[in-house]
Parts: sequence; C-alpha cells; structure tokens
Amino acid sequence: MIGRRTLATDEPHDAVPVPPRAADSLVAFDGVWRYWGRGKSRWAVLRGIDLHVAAGTVTCVGGQNGAGKTTLLRIGTAILAPDAGTVTVDGISSDGNWREYHRRIGFLSAGDRGLYARFSVRGHLEFSVRLAFVPTDRRQQLVEQALVGFGLADLAKRRADRLSQGQRQRLRLALTFVHEPKVLLLDEPRNSLDEQGLAMLVGAIDGVLARRGAVIWCSPAGETQPLKFDRSFLIEAGALRPV
Amino acid sequence: MEVLAQYGGAVLATMRRDAEIYLSYRFRIIGQVLGMLFSLSTFFYIAKIVRVGAVGPRGEYFAFVVVGVVTTAVLTSALGSAQIVRMELMQGNFERILISPLGPVWGVVSVAAFPICYATLFAGVMLGLSVAVYGVPLHVANIAPALGVGVLGAVSLSCIGLLFVAGLLAFKSALGATWVIAGLSFLGGAYFPLRLFPGWIRWTSYVQPFTPTVDLLRHLLIGTRPIEPAWLELVKLVGFTVLLMPISVGALWLAVHFSRRRGTLMEY
Repeated sequence: MIGRRTLATDEPHDAVPVPPRAADSLVAFDGVWRYWGRGKSRWAVLRGIDLHVAAGTVTCVGGQNGAGKTTLLRIGTAILAPDAGTVTVDGISSDGNWREYHRRIGFLSAGDRGLYARFSVRGHLEFSVRLAFVPTDRRQQLVEQALVGFGLADLAKRRADRLSQGQRQRLRLALTFVHEPKVLLLDEPRNSLDEQGLAMLVGAIDGVLARRGAVIWCSPAGETQPLKFDRSFLIEAGALRPV
Repeated sequence: MEVLAQYGGAVLATMRRDAEIYLSYRFRIIGQVLGMLFSLSTFFYIAKIVRVGAVGPRGEYFAFVVVGVVTTAVLTSALGSAQIVRMELMQGNFERILISPLGPVWGVVSVAAFPICYATLFAGVMLGLSVAVYGVPLHVANIAPALGVGVLGAVSLSCIGLLFVAGLLAFKSALGATWVIAGLSFLGGAYFPLRLFPGWIRWTSYVQPFTPTVDLLRHLLIGTRPIEPAWLELVKLVGFTVLLMPISVGALWLAVHFSRRRGTLMEY
C-alpha cells in the first residue's frame, strides 16, 4: 500500500468527476495553443487546451511520446510561451507577476538533469529554498522536512555525483517540493523510483493536497500509476480527452 | 525592502553555491596561482628590457603591466558570463533558476556574480603578490578608491558580458566574446601606453569602459599620469555604466522574451 491515494487494485472510479469552474481553479490553462517548427513544417502540438485544476486535486495528463505533455507543463512553468491562450496560477499570470507566480509552483522536469555534480544534497536543498524566496525562519525546517520526506537524511552531506539514479530522482523530487509550492507540475516523476521512493512521492503529494494545493502529473500513456487521480486526460492530436 | 532582500539573498545563495563548487576543484586553484606567478615572472623579466621612462616618468613598466594584466583578468571574467550560462544550459541546471521567483534576468546576474567577484578578489591577490614578491611600489593609501574604480569597471564590463548572454539566449551563440576581450584589452592599453597607437585608431580606446578603468587604476595604484584628467575619466566610467546597464538588461529581457516564444530558452 502506497499512501492514502494509492490504487491498490484496478478499482473503477466511483463517479465521473465534475471539472472545476474557471473561478474555482487553482491552475487554469485557457485556450492554449502551441506550435512547433516553422514554415511548411509548422504543426500545432497543443490545440486550444482548456484545463482547470481545482485545489486539493491531482490531475493526470497522459499521452503518447511527442503528444505534447512536456510542452503543456513547460507552458505551465512559463519558460515556454503559448502562441495563444493564457495560464494562471491562483489567478496570477507569469507575465503579470513572475515572482508571485513562480513562488507558487514546483516543477519536476523529465529525465535526470538539473543537479550539480559536486554539490551536496543539503547544499542543493538550501540553495533551492533561497531561490524560492522562503522566509529565513522557515528555511531550515523545510530543508530538514524534505531530507526526511524523501529519505535523504543520511545522504545530506553526499555529493550529487555520488548518488544512485534513484537517489538522484529523490533529490530532484525533494527540490521540487521543498518550498511547499501550491501547484506541482510533475513530468514523468516515476523515473528510477523504487517502491519506497514512490511511497515518498505519494506522501509528499498528500502533503500538497492537505495544504489545498494541486498537482498535474504527466506520464506516458499506459504507465502504471501509484496513486488515484481525481481526473485523467489523454492528449491526442493536440487536444485533451477525458479518460 | 523585503523584496530586495529576497533577490539579494537568492543572488548570494547562487554565489555561495558557485563558490562551493569552485572550491571543490582544489587543483584548479593551485594551477591558477602558479599560472599567475608564471605570468608575473614573465612580465618581470620583460620589464627589465623595456627602456626607462617608456610608460611614464617613473619608468616602472612592470607595475604598469601588472595593473593591465589584473584588469584584463576581471574583464575576461565579466565577459565570460555567456560561457557560464552556456554551461548551465548544457548541464540542464539553468532551468531551476529560470523557473524560480528570481526569474531569467536576475538569474543570469546571479550566475555571473561569483566569477566576477572571484576574479576581482584574485586580481587583488595578484597585486598583493606583485608587491610582496616583486616589490611593485603600490600606493597603499589609494587602495580604497581603487577598489571603488575596480567595482565600477567590473560592473560596466559585466554589462557588455550581459549583451553576450542575451545573444546566447536568443541565437544560441556568443560568437565574438573572445575577440572582444582581446580587442578591449589591446585597445584599452593593458600592455602598453595608448600614445604608441597611430592616431587613426586611437579613438577606439576612448569609447569603451576598459580604458578609463585601467588608466584610473594605474593612476591610483602606481601614480602614472592619467591620459585625461582623473575626474573626466571617472565621469566617463560612470557614464559607460549608466548607459550600458539599461541597454544590457533590456537586451537580456528581449532575448528571454524571444526565446520563450521560440521555445528555445532551455536549449543549447
């Protein structure tokens, strides 16, 4: 059993979840279009995506490789601009207030990059809370909490290049969660995680939901999931289809 | 005020991170010190064959060139910001800074801060060694104003570095940084007096911040006569900084905006 949101069996969803109204959304993608390529080779990877995620919920977005999951999340982080449409978190757009927008989000990119080889686990976390503008009196507590929460306490002094692949992923997750963001954007978070690592991830998600946060979980279609989602979608031909 | 402290704290945290990573390469530091001593020794002996009075009434070519060399070191570091950002992009580490409240512009400033501060500190150590080992007659009383000029010069040159970062973010290329470093230090008189240049090219020395920086530092630290009145050079240096800062920040902002649209902000 992994966390309180685990799907231990293939139990069906009890009822069709009601999508939140735009006004109730913690995260709102409205009419998001994104093209890749130029000229004749230009194609729309996202075609007018509307996705509203309410506080206290986890939304899964699946899809084949190249469907546009990562593009959607990168638009959510604002490092990629949509060609049309808007994204808001807590009613704030990144163009309106970059600082407040990004204080509210935590992003895990797919893959295993984003760590400094010769920097310690604790160093990474302490750096991350400073980057996230966490107030001085909370920093140490949050760092310790993340170290314990992701099973990194015994590795706190170890350099990132001395970690196993699974430990690196736990550190990447810890960096995503450490500043207690309201909204988590997770791109293929299961990478390299063992059963224990998955339990830690689900536990951390529980914590986010308890704080009335929201999670968008992206993973390839068909991947076994360690937790029960409030809503699930597939990106197909650039559009979101409820599952 | 609190917001400013948050930005300042994040920049300091980035500098601390970079310092820790840098210090983990112990042999690199030893290599740098040895390289510095080798460089000083080379110029020490070259100075012996330079005729007395070639660079001013005191005839101290060694002191003259030492100030030029340390200023070039700071220049190199300031213009090397694009290379640091390129490495961060290639390693996939820049993303963490980009998606933080710090944002892309401050993020670039924060990753460029440590190398520039380190180069400035290293320049100070180099000057100290040139005094202790080679007996350069440094005007100790002028160290404080020289430090001020050094910081102003470093900020001014860093602005040029930010322009290269903007080019890197927008076009994935920072071509020319090495040429600009070589050109600025050559035309700025790092190794020889500007009066040796032919008149038709000398104007290039007066339209860039390296020249007033190195000239004022020489004036303060070893007592050479400035090319122009010291106050005028100081005004020029401040002017370059005031002019270049909004231009470079604006260029950086445009580059970030452009590459967010193109979807290449995270790529290299």
